[in-house]
Amino acid sequence: MARARAGLYGLVSRVFSDRPTPELLKGMKDPEMIEALASFGVVFDEAFLAGDEEGQAGELAVEYTRLFLATGPHIAPYESVFVRAWSEDKPQLWGEATVAVSKFYKEVGLELRPGQTPDHLGLELEAMAIMAECEAARREAGDAEGAALLERQQRRFCKEHLNIWVPEICEAVERETKSVFYRGMATLASALVQLHCGGADKITEQ
Amino acid sequence: MRNITRRDFLKLGAASTAVLAIETQFGPIASAAERLIEGGRSVNRTSGLPRSFLPSTCTQCPAGCGNMGYIEESRVVKIGGNTMHLSNQGSLCARGQAGINALYDPDRLLKPMRRNGLRGKNNWEMISWEEAYGEVAKILAAAKANPNDFVFMTDDLDQDAVGRRFTYAYGSPNALGGTGFYDANKLVATELTWGAAGDVPDVSKSKYILVFGANPLESNPQFVGLARRLINGIQQNQAKLVVFDVRLTNTKTRANESHYVNPGTYALVALSMANVIMQEGLYDRGFIEQWTNVSPAQLTQHLAQYTPERAEAETGVSALVIRRIATEFANTHPATTISDAMLSNFANGVQNERAVMLLNIITGNIDVKGGLCLPRKYDLAEPAPVPPVPAPSVLTNPPNLPLASHGSIEKALQQIKEGKQRVSVLMTHGVNPAYSSADGGLVEDMLRDEKMIPYHIAVTPFMNETALMADIILPETTFLEDWEVEVRPSPELVPYVSLRQAVVPPMESTASFFDIAAKLANLVMGGMEQYFAFKTVNDYLKARIANIPGLAQAGGLEYLRQHGVWYDPKTRPNYGAFMAGGFRTPSGRIEVFSPRLAEKNFSALPSYEPIAAFREIKDDEMVLTIFDTALQTDAKTANCMWLDEIQHDNPIWINSVTAARLGILHGDPIKLLRKEKSGVAKERSIISTAFVTEGIHEKVVAMANGVGHTAFGHIAEGEKMTLDEIEVPALRDANVTLVWWGHKDGIGVNAKQIVPIAPEPIGGGQAWGDMVVTIAKV
Repeated sequence: MARARAGLYGLVSRVFSDRPTPELLKGMKDPEMIEALASFGVVFDEAFLAGDEEGQAGELAVEYTRLFLATGPHIAPYESVFVRAWSEDKPQLWGEATVAVSKFYKEVGLELRPGQTPDHLGLELEAMAIMAECEAARREAGDAEGAALLERQQRRFCKEHLNIWVPEICEAVERETKSVFYRGMATLASALVQLHCGGADKITEQ
Repeated sequence: MRNITRRDFLKLGAASTAVLAIETQFGPIASAAERLIEGGRSVNRTSGLPRSFLPSTCTQCPAGCGNMGYIEESRVVKIGGNTMHLSNQGSLCARGQAGINALYDPDRLLKPMRRNGLRGKNNWEMISWEEAYGEVAKILAAAKANPNDFVFMTDDLDQDAVGRRFTYAYGSPNALGGTGFYDANKLVATELTWGAAGDVPDVSKSKYILVFGANPLESNPQFVGLARRLINGIQQNQAKLVVFDVRLTNTKTRANESHYVNPGTYALVALSMANVIMQEGLYDRGFIEQWTNVSPAQLTQHLAQYTPERAEAETGVSALVIRRIATEFANTHPATTISDAMLSNFANGVQNERAVMLLNIITGNIDVKGGLCLPRKYDLAEPAPVPPVPAPSVLTNPPNLPLASHGSIEKALQQIKEGKQRVSVLMTHGVNPAYSSADGGLVEDMLRDEKMIPYHIAVTPFMNETALMADIILPETTFLEDWEVEVRPSPELVPYVSLRQAVVPPMESTASFFDIAAKLANLVMGGMEQYFAFKTVNDYLKARIANIPGLAQAGGLEYLRQHGVWYDPKTRPNYGAFMAGGFRTPSGRIEVFSPRLAEKNFSALPSYEPIAAFREIKDDEMVLTIFDTALQTDAKTANCMWLDEIQHDNPIWINSVTAARLGILHGDPIKLLRKEKSGVAKERSIISTAFVTEGIHEKVVAMANGVGHTAFGHIAEGEKMTLDEIEVPALRDANVTLVWWGHKDGIGVNAKQIVPIAPEPIGGGQAWGDMVVTIAKV
């Protein structure tokens, strides 16, 4: 489970961290992937599936910029913009949430590269991916205690951070985007976070 | 949202991993905006070397913050804050981070040394530990017939349990602490008033904060722990901050409102406010009646003499302002005050502190959320067998200071100087009275006098002004190579235990003070060895924490070694805990009227006592204020080059109006002369440059503490070194070749040396603030 979770968080992290590459898009169109995505309610239309990845990568780069980098609706992908601390008059970059997130990274031992904003959507999702990956590795190495600790840390991070803003930003993306790709990925990220935090229906055993 | 099966989840997970694998192979994932590196196994970003880290406790100032030593190839490369620590919550100040400079000070003492030639001539003969222990043990054994003549001096006795144990085991009561700006007067004042030494202003939850003379954003015994919470209070909780001071401090610059006050008159400001609160009926009647030993009517009557108009005339703060702030303070809940040694280091220090406490008492802001709270800390156990505490001596309890229940080196020095206590052996440990005590020159003379001090053992890592006057030097480890359990009043009001642990092993042949004391005790014998029968320091530490409820279950010493600090995670601040059993005063109430003060013929109610020296102050005379900065801790930190580079000198702050009147220009060298009370004894004066500013009271000159060393090594004395001069490879830090300030700016001057020894009559702490000086152009 942890490894699958790592994969999922890794994927959405990648998608919301930067513009897609043709290779990424090719991967997304893999029949296995399409089938698996469908179970999450993510369905790409025929035009997207048939399109040429080089061209699509270009178009999506424009869409990514339009969505997140300020030419269009500008959905700032930072937690502190979405979650205003009660002491803050207005949402701001590098607000209290940012500080809380970077404190969390420090606590669990995740080190940021210089120049990064800790509460960027892609980065928060990636932190989850790394913790899940480490959890899987510990479990395989027989370190049940270490794995359990990492699992708790993910839950905590999810509860204290992701769950209070990721569904909201994903809703904004679903509403604003013109692309079936970003709409689908927003649906996926939102579902993943809500599942993980137990805010929505649990995964059914089967 | 639809239900998702485990199978679906795993499948999509696998598919996602597959896509990422492709991406990693071909795509520019490395340039994808953000990447994280897994921690726990920390790696140096520039050198690529693996790093380990160990939590410990900082001793660079009295706050005792939790720190974290980062180690690469068994060398400390960085010191940071411990995020787990309740006090400093992950922040560490410049002094804490510069602790690394102390550890690798190129002039560190690494071998025992015996004096050659006259004391103070800095002529030494290296000897082996065996020889050193042999000599010291022989002298201590011989002197044991009169154990009272053994005197042990340390910086802060509360944190030097080993030294105290050693002294008591030897049979002497004379374990003395309390140097520099250590706050004996405040501790005595609070103990007399509410039965506990010290206070904790709960500033992060306060709505109105009144500061008298303190400068918590730059220097305070709780430094980072209090400063962080004060910032939270004024930023997040929107508390109003009002500061009274003689100088434009950093805290003043953050205040909503600030006022200059005539020196030594803080108590009058506070008492006139208390008067307004009583007159206007803004006081908390219920609290006064139930929890103090005075009635509102009594207080109103006593305070009536302190009218705002009188206060305006004597303090310089307008009566209007006093009335307004008094009303605001009484009407805003919760409210608190902040005060420290800068309030109580006057001849009227204990009364000053009691006057400020009174504001909290009459408004019911005692031990409430956001108010002035009783200190909370754990009690550490004294490991069995416990050495009996010998009967007090004239040093610990001078007869002329019957209420001075807290340490003060000055009060002891006075007794030794006057010949009231004979000294056979003096052991100084991590303390530098020749620099940090009042009348530095006199202390130096005392230490030089072989009749007064026949044998002086200095246990120290550094050759400071006091070690220079030793007969033998035992090279101690620095705090980063040492062990001790520490407890301090918690700024969070949840008690905690902090471990000082060796982040790296002792350098060369240095030894920890625990090892030195244990070794000596076992050589001196005569019964004292039984108190140092520990196999290792671990046994000692375990015994120290044995009585702390919950810690053993959490893992005891092992837990502390891993995390550096422990507190009960379920504990929350128990505000108002006094209601269960009353205050720990004889009456069980807050003793606003202090029978103990009355008995000794001091004013029993909080009173303003004008400082005599300030009354007849002449035109060319000024009051000298010596202040601590965020960069130097008294005699402790001047060998840290990172700190010295920022603060290495201490020009004399002087008001621009005063300077103009005296014809002094910014940068002029000026001389401060000590005003002698009777006759011309030894003229003491200091010279520094004028720092002309509007940010100081017109009758005050101010100088920073912590610089101007005449010993303590190249760095403290501002001299650059070449790497060839440093024998030990581990101490060759290339930065020592870049020391520039000594030649350019000078290294300042130790202002405290011209202040005469003057213990406050009640508290016994040094009255630093009473200093009147004459200014002369040079």
